[in-house]
Amino acid sequence: MKRKILALIGGSLLSGAAMAGGYQVNLASQRQIGMGHTGTGITTGTSSIFFNPGAMSFLRENGVTIGASGIISKIAYRAPEPSGATAKADNPLGTPFHVYGVFGINDRLKAGLGVYTPFGSTVNWGNDWNGRFGLSELSLQAIFIQPTLSYQITDQLGIGAGFVYAVGGVNLQRNIPLQNSEGAYGKAELDGKANGIGFNAGIFFKPSEQLSFGLSYRSKVDMKVDGGDVMFSNLPTSPAIAGRFPAGTEFDATLPLPATLTFGAGFMPSEDLTIAVDVSHVGWSAYKSLRFDYSQDVNGSNFAENARNYEDAYIYRVGAEYKVSDAFALRAGGYYDGTPVQEGYLTPETPDSDSRGVSVGFGYKLSEDMSVDASFLYINKKKRTDASDLSGGVAGTYKSIAYIPGIALNYKF
Amino acid sequence: MLALAAGIFLASCEPEIDVPTTSPGEADFSTYIAVGNSLTAGYGDRGLYREGQLNSYPAILAQQFRSVGGGEFAQPLFSEEQANGSGYLRLAGLSAQGAPTIVPVTDKLATNQAGRFAKYTGPVQNFGIPDIRLADITTPGYGGAQGNRYFERITPENDANQTYLQRVQAADHTFFSMWLGSNDVLGYATSGGASSDPVYNITPTNTFDVRFSDMVNALTAEGQKGIVATIPNVTSLPFFTTVGASIRQLLGLNPAITRLFAITGAGASRISFAPSQINTPQDGVLIPLTASPYATLVGQPTGLYWRDLAKQVSPSQNALVIRGTLVALLATYQIDTTQMFGLSDRNPLPSALVLDAAEQANVTAATNDYNTIIKSVADAKGLALFDSDAYFKSVASGFSRDGVSYSPAFITGNLFSLDGVHPTPRGYAFIANEMIKAINSKYGARIPTVDETQYRAVLLP
Repeated sequence: MKRKILALIGGSLLSGAAMAGGYQVNLASQRQIGMGHTGTGITTGTSSIFFNPGAMSFLRENGVTIGASGIISKIAYRAPEPSGATAKADNPLGTPFHVYGVFGINDRLKAGLGVYTPFGSTVNWGNDWNGRFGLSELSLQAIFIQPTLSYQITDQLGIGAGFVYAVGGVNLQRNIPLQNSEGAYGKAELDGKANGIGFNAGIFFKPSEQLSFGLSYRSKVDMKVDGGDVMFSNLPTSPAIAGRFPAGTEFDATLPLPATLTFGAGFMPSEDLTIAVDVSHVGWSAYKSLRFDYSQDVNGSNFAENARNYEDAYIYRVGAEYKVSDAFALRAGGYYDGTPVQEGYLTPETPDSDSRGVSVGFGYKLSEDMSVDASFLYINKKKRTDASDLSGGVAGTYKSIAYIPGIALNYKF
Repeated sequence: MLALAAGIFLASCEPEIDVPTTSPGEADFSTYIAVGNSLTAGYGDRGLYREGQLNSYPAILAQQFRSVGGGEFAQPLFSEEQANGSGYLRLAGLSAQGAPTIVPVTDKLATNQAGRFAKYTGPVQNFGIPDIRLADITTPGYGGAQGNRYFERITPENDANQTYLQRVQAADHTFFSMWLGSNDVLGYATSGGASSDPVYNITPTNTFDVRFSDMVNALTAEGQKGIVATIPNVTSLPFFTTVGASIRQLLGLNPAITRLFAITGAGASRISFAPSQINTPQDGVLIPLTASPYATLVGQPTGLYWRDLAKQVSPSQNALVIRGTLVALLATYQIDTTQMFGLSDRNPLPSALVLDAAEQANVTAATNDYNTIIKSVADAKGLALFDSDAYFKSVASGFSRDGVSYSPAFITGNLFSLDGVHPTPRGYAFIANEMIKAINSKYGARIPTVDETQYRAVLLP
């Protein structure tokens, strides 16, 4: 399945640096990114497939949307004082994307299909920094494929639900603290494909032209890797050592993509102005540990496990759209995303902290059928210093920022 | 498109973490000199060679001092062509059980036929001289043709009688490090307390006291600041703990063996001990790394050690002369090589292969006395102190840093080189960092430490 998707959209579209809390990537619609990524309590067009399947039934026209963002993210690191060691994660451009299509079966019942990337992470610390025995490079990918049905029960109330099939993969590389006769460190690379299932359901209530509410629940998806490859290189060749890192080792792992419960509200004081607020609860506590089970002993153990013990977190969002003319809309928004990572558990995979996002965007109608949305999001995570003594992480101070431009095309029919 | 352009523009903005301020505090690091022995020279793997010199703790300190006004630091480096210096040990193989094959490196040496070095005439700020004891620092001729070959290497041709103390006195400096004294007890310990040669005796405490003060007074003559270091109790080095563990394992297979016999001291006196006393902290017995060729022979009728010794001490390599030397040795030490090696008081473990409880007590007493002197002088002179004895005790049970495990274990512990006594470059980096912390704390300086993982541990075949 993943291979087909790859062929469809091209490999480069797969990576998405984790720029929300943990490894969540909240970049599901350019229009909504412009509005601080609100959208559960309002109708958002085809992207209601993601934000609130209940609101999808309020769509009056069939439509298709395709959009993508480019995540330019950078992380600075400084080892605990008095160490002078520093590092910088040189992350490749992340390109989360989404494709939504909605088709009206009748006035009340709509069918839709969404393909989007709500989780992912690409971090590249390189092979020289002091934390390289913990992590040199990590890439996590998840693509959700969500067929969805939405039914408008009354003119005020809609419900909807979709089944989620998720495909993706993980690639983790780190150095092994054993130096061969050339002085090079050993290297381990874990690479595997993953999949999982879940659902997305929502209810949308619009009591008046000025007010609307929504509640959505995206379930937890356990991404399971079955028989991923463990590869070793640069190790000393003596059987006494090399034999501890056997070739052909496979690994199993499960990475929980947490449930998200969101309540949203929309206020439309005039025809030109929409204000939206969202509050999300993300069930990060599902992420207890990162565990790899090996098919044979690696350095004397058939598994590796490090505690994560994430905590549930809340995200608060606000955004607005103002229609300057019939064809042109301006948007702005912001959010505050609490970190799920507790003190002592910071890791270089996701050196997370409370993050602030501000966004701007615009929409422009190219024709009656065609419109374009552009967005720009700036994310600034609070500088965070942690001993990382409970997670097997790398102690020090981390600071992350990201610049995320994005563009989407909408077609109505 | 606008957003994309803005994105590219803003991408040049980097996340910032404030750079901690650096400061020399009350100290002046512009001209730094290092005084000491093999540890200061960068010795490791039973040799002094260019890589070790480049990664010596004084070289690391000098590099870090540069951020707070430190200047150039000249070391008597071996040239690239003679990079292997005195020669050293490398790990050539590991058996399936992990037993190491350690072989000497014999190419690109800086030594002549007699094992001596050519003169090094460049400027020197690292006065680390392998083997030097505090007892040697006022000895004329120590840099002469019969003296210490490392000191001879840097002693001026026309001043062969210049003492080590005089050489240091002649050097200008604004800051110094001094880590001397280990060899005043190490030789006794590594030789198992077996030698009557004064070089392998423990330096008397009053001599140590006088010489230590002589050197510190010279180094602080113009009110200079500096750091001194205590000496580690050598009995926790892998040199003394590695072979004992394998002998215990060997003997543990046979519960009938309840006593081991050994010679103690420089004479032929015997002691006996239980296998369970090996490597125990109380009343324990330590086996030096030099015993490794003979460790597997325990319980067998063998005279290998004595044949090797005879070859070594015989005045001639003529087989008959060696034979005569062997017969004399066996008579002196009352050895019957048909008896079980180590299990009979007629074929006991030689004294040089055992550091027994009484000998360890001598080592510990001397170390403690020396360290009391070092600490009180440091205190009286207002100098920074690296308490290496306390530091090595604190790491004895191992620790983890940046995902790497460290311990005093031989080869696998990452801290000690293949001679089991001297640190790896990684181990020296840890030492340099501890010294920086001591300097920061004493003089209110803010000098950054180094990333230890940039320095190598033992290279594995």
